[in-house]
Amino acid sequence: MFQEVLLRLCDGFLKTIELFLLTLAGAIPLGLIVAFGSMSKFKPLKIIVRFIVWIVRGTPLMLQLIVIYYGPGLLFHQNIWGMGTSGRFTAVMVAFIINYSCYFSEIYRGGIESISKGQYEAGQVLGLTKRQVFFKIVLLQVIKRIVPPMGNEIITLVKDTSLARVIAVYELIWAGQTFIKSDGIIWPLFMTGIFYLLFSGLLTVLLAKFEKKLSYFN
Amino acid sequence: MKTSSKILICALVLVLCAAFAFAGGKKEASSSDKAYVAGKGTLVVGITDFEPMDYKEGNEWIGFDADMAKAFAKELGVKCEFIEIDWDSKSMELENKTIDCVWNGMTLTDGVKKAMATSNAYCNNAQIIVVNKAKAGALKTAADAKALKFAVEAGSAGEAAAKDNGYNAIAVETQAAAVMEVAAGTSEACIIDSLMAAAMVGPGTSYPDLTYTVALTEEEYGVGFRKGSDLVAAINDFFKKAYADGSMMKTAEKYGTQASIIPQK
Repeated sequence: MFQEVLLRLCDGFLKTIELFLLTLAGAIPLGLIVAFGSMSKFKPLKIIVRFIVWIVRGTPLMLQLIVIYYGPGLLFHQNIWGMGTSGRFTAVMVAFIINYSCYFSEIYRGGIESISKGQYEAGQVLGLTKRQVFFKIVLLQVIKRIVPPMGNEIITLVKDTSLARVIAVYELIWAGQTFIKSDGIIWPLFMTGIFYLLFSGLLTVLLAKFEKKLSYFN
Repeated sequence: MKTSSKILICALVLVLCAAFAFAGGKKEASSSDKAYVAGKGTLVVGITDFEPMDYKEGNEWIGFDADMAKAFAKELGVKCEFIEIDWDSKSMELENKTIDCVWNGMTLTDGVKKAMATSNAYCNNAQIIVVNKAKAGALKTAADAKALKFAVEAGSAGEAAAKDNGYNAIAVETQAAAVMEVAAGTSEACIIDSLMAAAMVGPGTSYPDLTYTVALTEEEYGVGFRKGSDLVAAINDFFKKAYADGSMMKTAEKYGTQASIIPQK
């Protein structure tokens, strides 16, 4: 029994990791674009982007998953996700990446706005273009400053992946829960906690290492 | 940082292990469950919103199961209190003593029988296929549905029925989610309880375009208690008495479930 549980939990855990990595891969760059949008000097763009960020941060991710996956079919009678499991996974990815890029964008914005004006002016004096100033001078300093809050969000994401089960993407919690329903045993659900703890422990160590690597700025 | 985080992780893992060792170890209700319920003066009934068995009218829980539960509590001489639970956690709620029984059109599956002590079956139910009206005409037998993509509740009797019939089915969290799948077109059909289907789809609901067709398996409802509870004997007696004096059928007629009631002898 223990072996079967472990096997099933590992299956779920792989899906959890897949969700986690793909969300980061999508949301980290997209968040930067959203951050630029919310800092844009072009007022309409800024208003639209900040409105979207408000919606996404202001509603539960679980609701967003349901709306994104079932919404098209229920409201417009046009199911855009198909009927396979791949459609479910894509819908989860879309919801997670949008949600997390909005959170990330605010962290980026905080980081970018915290860099003193002097840094930009110094770059200008050296004859660098705006683009060069951002990528060569500002960005690295921003990265250093945002590592702790990003670490926070990244560890939250590990646990948020469990929401994917509401549209039947079989991640770790689902795998643990199935044993309650089919066999009436509870401990596999508690055991999932160990997977989450070990994974977030690993991430904590990695993030600390990364932070240390960036400490040469001081 | 490194050592302290290691210690922290170890500590948390230990707490967790202790937690499920505790959850796994406590199997038997230590003394009389009946005395325990009588002592605190309330029978706490775990339910979900499930018309026509348990549902709300104003502030009051009514329905066939709700009314029977009230009558049972009265017989025990205690108050009856309803608590809405997460259906997946029903056995945990019982063992945790946050509820005293699960009385909510619960199908007596093998999983349920393993996880709790159950009463005699009191009501028949069928697993039934729900589809869009446009598809209903072509569905006459269980075999006609073979080509459809199904959604079923994980661990439910509907999932078992899908497996038995060789259907292509995906497991979702609840029966309500399975119905939503069909309405959204992310699945073509779902298998749910016939009593629930009667209340949930068709005119006057949010799913006017859906309808129910072929019935697959017949099954039975029972009430669940903590493992080893002496309330099981009490409820079986209660069912016998209520059936004999006609009050059970009278309650059933009130909620339209009289055709499904199982004679209690």
